[in-house]
Amino acid sequence: MTTDVAADAVGDGAGAGALAGVRVLDLTDDRAIYAGKLLGDLGADVLRVEPAGGDPLRERSPRLADGASLWHAYFGSSRRVVRTDDAAVIARLAAGAEIVLDCGRLLDADGLHAEQPGLVIVDVSSFGPTGPWRDYLAPGLVAEALGGVAATSGDSSTPPLQLHGDQYAFVGGVYAAIGALAALRHARETGEGQVVRLSLHEALASVLEHVLMWAWYHDRLPFAEGPVLPRQGSLHWSGAYVVMQAVGGSIMITPTPDFSKQAAWLVEEGRGLELLDERFMDPANVAELVDLTMATLREWVAEQEVEPFFHEAQARHHPYGWVMTTPEVAGNPQLEAREWWTRYPVGGGEVPGPGAPYHFSESVWAVSEGGDAVVLDGGDALDAVGWGE
Amino acid sequence: MSATTGPLEGIRVLDFTHVLAGPFATRMMGDMGADVVKVMSATRAGLAGGVDHPYHAMWNRNKRVLQLDLSRTEAREIARELALKADLVIDNFSVGVLDRWGLGYEAVSPEHPGVVYLGMSGMGVTGPWSKYVTYAPTVHALAGLTYLTGVAGRNDIGIGFSYNDHMAGLHGVVAALSAITARRRTGRGQQIDMSQFEVGVSFSGPALLDWFANGVAAEPVGNAHAWESWTPHGVYRCAGEDQWCAIAVVSDEQWRSLCALIGAGDWLDDASLSATEGRRLRREEIDARVSEWTLGQDRYEVMRRCQAAGVPAGVVQTGVDLTQHDPQLAHTEMFFEFDDVHPTIGRLTVDRQPLRFERTPSTVYHRAEVFGESNESVARDWLGLSSAEVSRLESEGVME
Repeated sequence: MTTDVAADAVGDGAGAGALAGVRVLDLTDDRAIYAGKLLGDLGADVLRVEPAGGDPLRERSPRLADGASLWHAYFGSSRRVVRTDDAAVIARLAAGAEIVLDCGRLLDADGLHAEQPGLVIVDVSSFGPTGPWRDYLAPGLVAEALGGVAATSGDSSTPPLQLHGDQYAFVGGVYAAIGALAALRHARETGEGQVVRLSLHEALASVLEHVLMWAWYHDRLPFAEGPVLPRQGSLHWSGAYVVMQAVGGSIMITPTPDFSKQAAWLVEEGRGLELLDERFMDPANVAELVDLTMATLREWVAEQEVEPFFHEAQARHHPYGWVMTTPEVAGNPQLEAREWWTRYPVGGGEVPGPGAPYHFSESVWAVSEGGDAVVLDGGDALDAVGWGE
Repeated sequence: MSATTGPLEGIRVLDFTHVLAGPFATRMMGDMGADVVKVMSATRAGLAGGVDHPYHAMWNRNKRVLQLDLSRTEAREIARELALKADLVIDNFSVGVLDRWGLGYEAVSPEHPGVVYLGMSGMGVTGPWSKYVTYAPTVHALAGLTYLTGVAGRNDIGIGFSYNDHMAGLHGVVAALSAITARRRTGRGQQIDMSQFEVGVSFSGPALLDWFANGVAAEPVGNAHAWESWTPHGVYRCAGEDQWCAIAVVSDEQWRSLCALIGAGDWLDDASLSATEGRRLRREEIDARVSEWTLGQDRYEVMRRCQAAGVPAGVVQTGVDLTQHDPQLAHTEMFFEFDDVHPTIGRLTVDRQPLRFERTPSTVYHRAEVFGESNESVARDWLGLSSAEVSRLESEGVME
């Protein structure tokens, strides 16, 4: 075990975020703004530098009636804001930070690191600093197309589909946060900071589950018919998960992980006696078993009321998933019981929204109020933001 | 396994995870230099979790496998000794499994207050659904992601891969590293309850705020932007079977460039199309004409011509495109083959983790292991056991 404990460790830290005391300068755009949220919600002091004319991300919809951006309220939570276009001021602010999150606003990340060798700089771009596509423009849809996301979503009756709700921003942001925290750990152990570069293109290509496996190992997968699995809607590559229509809604059905348990339930309901045929004890017949099970399930599920059926399945430990709308998610009893929702400051008020993706036994997670943007137009920038010490 | 060089070098991770979300988290930590010991039993390895399956090999590189039959008391005692040496213990079992084995946080932390426990259960440890079981498609459905990822009138499409597993894994790494950061300040570890469901719900953040604030229930939008009026913003058919290119015009300047590129001078002269909202109102007409332009062209040529004109465009790339046709990924050497051939699967390929640490690069990649490869090295490095002792444990079925 590494020590990883400072000589001046200060007790249990009750009431503080896990990242209390970590100063982060946030220069990101939509590709990594989520990183600042992740770090700020965990207690880091995140200072976002907006252009002097204001952050274009404050124009992103959805919005309140008065125009305040809910998109920005969510992705831009838990940070203070200053406004400047002055590169020298930004560099000065970096002198007070341990981490800089950037999407190309720093003109010379390597030069800044040379001046501040202990600094961690996470530089997120669409394709990386070099290569034939380095200057390509890639807003979310384009990024998800090139990154392999779209080719896998949709079905034969639709075009390839993006994911809903700017998922590229979550992917870029969570990787950027990991890069920042891992490099911070190294910097605090050794005194050595570094530049960490992230290509969103590579990041998206890294979260495709079966896609690369299919390309590389399809000849070793008994049910693969080629190196690319065609778009097939919700039908999982294994053939054993799919959304089915029930009464009053849809539900994701799967007989995994225990086909025999699923068969037993079907037989209990007077269905699928043929699933008990001895030939299905032979692993060579697994594809036929999957097909027959799914066909039997489809007929049966169509007669079931979705909500009680979902709970009955889960009570039997079948990992079925009720396809929920956004309002249904907002009313989910599990989230309510866990007092999960939190409030996001926006437009002079507050709006409920997603709470913590993780719950620490000792450290606080909270969306914090950043206050009004401060225009830096003179004096020492570090003193102006309270980073002068 | 030789020494690693990443920013997490010196961190010890005891890994009780399986399938994808947890293994992806520990793979990421291993890629960054942590010493990850994955506890497995040859007697309970399932289909896609079996060490001989490519799916397992994809997510379990840069880890050492230690065989332990945790149904046996002596194996659980060894696991407890390992936990006492770990910086991080991580599992994605159902709630309570580690506790029943006497390996949970409450059992270990009194003796080892610096340990961090990360539990990546489906629903979290409390609440009426805490016993519910999930895979990524389950979470996608329950979190609203299946409903929203599709086209109007359909709620049965959803995400075509286990997105939430990857993202839960990555959020788990954020949580673990944050707790390790806090430990440096406080001297104490802690327990983290991560719900993969809650991670998934987070991905509809703006839509949920829109619902709570405005009463607007989000609906699937296909390839239109969920909230902006950007037009054209779609995926367009190109020459060849099932070949597509995305084009996303997000500014008036890009619109003018596109009009010039496709020879739509009439649109340039049409004041009603000069702003985004006007273009949204004529989306079908615009999409039809853009499709007409792309249809006879090679998809990469469409992209190249658009990008040269300052119009964002990108080929819809498949796994084969990514691994064989993508010059950017070739340039950055995203993929390469392990030198060390897997004993049962054969030659394996690596997708390099995407964070490029300039001072502590992730340059060390070891293929996923099969049973028995690291029993001795883990027992020696973590517990100081001799080869003879490991042989006894193996022969008696404790390391099974």
